[in-house]
Amino acid sequence: MTRLHPFTLLALAAALVALAWLLPAPGGGLATVAAALGLAGSRGLRRGLWPALATAAPFWLFLFILHDVPTTVALGLRITTMVASVVWLVAVLAPARLVEAMVAAGWRAGTAYLFAATLSAVPVLKARAQRIVEAQRCRGLSPRGGLGPRVRALRALALPLILSALHEVDERALALESRGLVPGARRTPLAPPPDRGAERAVRWALVALCVAALVWRLA
Amino acid sequence: MTRLSLEHVSFWYPATDTPALADVSLEVAGGEVVALVGAVGAGASTLLLVAADLAPRVVGGRLEGAVDFRGRGNGEGGRGIVLPTPWTQVSGMAFTVWDEVAFGPANLGWPREQITRHVDRALARLDIAALRDREPATLSGGELQRVIIAGILAMDPALVLFDEPTAELDPAGARMLWRLVRSLAAEGKAVIVATSDLDALPDVADRVVWLEQGRAKKIGPPALLAEDALCAAGLGTAVAVVWRAGGLPRPYPLTVDDAVRLWRHR
Amino acid sequence: MSVRLLVLVPVAAAISLALSAVVDAVALPLFLDTTGTILATALAGPGVGIATGVVTSAVNTLRNPTFWPFVVVQIIVALYAWAAARAGLFRSFRTAIPAGLGLGVIASVTSTPISYLVFGCTTTGGIALTTALGRALGLSPLGACFFGSFVSDFGDKAVTFALVTSVLHALPRRTAARFPWALRAIGAA
Repeated sequence: MTRLHPFTLLALAAALVALAWLLPAPGGGLATVAAALGLAGSRGLRRGLWPALATAAPFWLFLFILHDVPTTVALGLRITTMVASVVWLVAVLAPARLVEAMVAAGWRAGTAYLFAATLSAVPVLKARAQRIVEAQRCRGLSPRGGLGPRVRALRALALPLILSALHEVDERALALESRGLVPGARRTPLAPPPDRGAERAVRWALVALCVAALVWRLA
Repeated sequence: MTRLSLEHVSFWYPATDTPALADVSLEVAGGEVVALVGAVGAGASTLLLVAADLAPRVVGGRLEGAVDFRGRGNGEGGRGIVLPTPWTQVSGMAFTVWDEVAFGPANLGWPREQITRHVDRALARLDIAALRDREPATLSGGELQRVIIAGILAMDPALVLFDEPTAELDPAGARMLWRLVRSLAAEGKAVIVATSDLDALPDVADRVVWLEQGRAKKIGPPALLAEDALCAAGLGTAVAVVWRAGGLPRPYPLTVDDAVRLWRHR
Repeated sequence: MSVRLLVLVPVAAAISLALSAVVDAVALPLFLDTTGTILATALAGPGVGIATGVVTSAVNTLRNPTFWPFVVVQIIVALYAWAAARAGLFRSFRTAIPAGLGLGVIASVTSTPISYLVFGCTTTGGIALTTALGRALGLSPLGACFFGSFVSDFGDKAVTFALVTSVLHALPRRTAARFPWALRAIGAA
């Protein structure tokens, strides 16, 4: 499955979620949930099935508290489909392949950059935030205490994190410019994922299926 | 042949009145290594940004004077700059070292086999071929610095600019870097290096530019680093500074070998 | 979009996503997940802000798939922040905090239908429980849902606006001058 084209994987996940909403509950929901959980499960218990179920479980609980059984089942199945599809997508799709697919499909280098760069930047900033928090803990920061001190502490923690990140924007821009990432640049795809005709057909079929379901529901 | 010439260049950063560069004139030829030395804030980094065509184009601000760059005749061979902090130069779009080094060439739109050739060569040159499948986020500062340099070299620039390239490197890495700088010059590239690693310069640099408060106070051969004025400013080689501090007479030795020779002839 | 603004988007999105660690450390019931979007808009305008909001939602979705439908809220936040920046409302806490409260109302109005239709008001445990409370108080299902979203959004957006104001004022003049909207947002241009 990992060898499928990234757009096919995206289309599959999106179609499952769309169909979960478009097809009438509970039959439609059951079908899509089964498919989504099956996909998630194909990535293994630890990486696929367990995260999907664990993320979806709280929703079932709260739905049960707030709504009657039919509504709970209908919404629960939809949410579980969404959760399982995304869990599967994350497990099966390597960001590098998605970026290459975007570049190969003719998307501008800048657009491909946005998503990939955020993925890279989050762990770095999170680690920095953690270091700032630990440094402040050594100086007496505590989650106890009144609201006022905690809000001031928030400012003391957040401000250096944000300011240092903004300060880097200039340097990063310089580095990217000097390495050729200028607006409108057309990158050479380094390892474009192969896109077979059959896969393109499948993608269009999925789109058609969703449109058909939409039309059918509206009618 | 002259690759880069600056004529009476002055540069102001945005919203500042004091110029970061004041009336600097410099010519750098292919095959030459020019070193910029000076105190922090003297203008070395700014001069590199101007030479790289990043100031004022990307940085903003105002430039007076003329900056002229001549790449190679066939249109290839631009300018590459290696900035001081490796972490901010990572593309963010590459998930392996190989892809990171290939980032620049890919952006230039080169055909894939040309990219592969240049990237493999750059990896070998920086001795990081073994890291090619690693994730950039897992590298140490020194390894990442080499990856960044490889990424710039893979673009085959005609003018290479280094801003404190040895900051993250250990002594062995620093020696490798200075050997690399000389080999870049040997193949005809023009190189400008801003560095505080003064002891390496006698063997590496063809000329030294002493910058102070944005002005090119003196331009000359590396022997400049044994002159009294620079030693007094803290910009002499360690040997020269020690000789001077010990009250020994001029001329101050530039390198350890000079010092040994001078000492034996006392 | 110039390269500088292109670089701003992932940095701002990462700020939104990294602040969760800070919020946990001070044990305050906040999300601050629109901080980056509002900051990016105040610095560089609505286009950059919307891009930041979309990217934030996309990356957040990888961690928790239920975030994606709320990308609409991020876009509305960016547009509101743009209006606030144009009016220079980030010039002091006295103008920023009421503006943030206003955004809190708008954000919960926008997120309520999404929360109701997609999740049956169970978006988070907190919202679910406050919705139950609202129902117990006799509110209609939609009203109870709004009540749930409102309680969490109101304070969150006000604090976010205050934080962004602090950041904008803490930026050195030289840096702020390089972002197209920064000075106008703090009423200095």
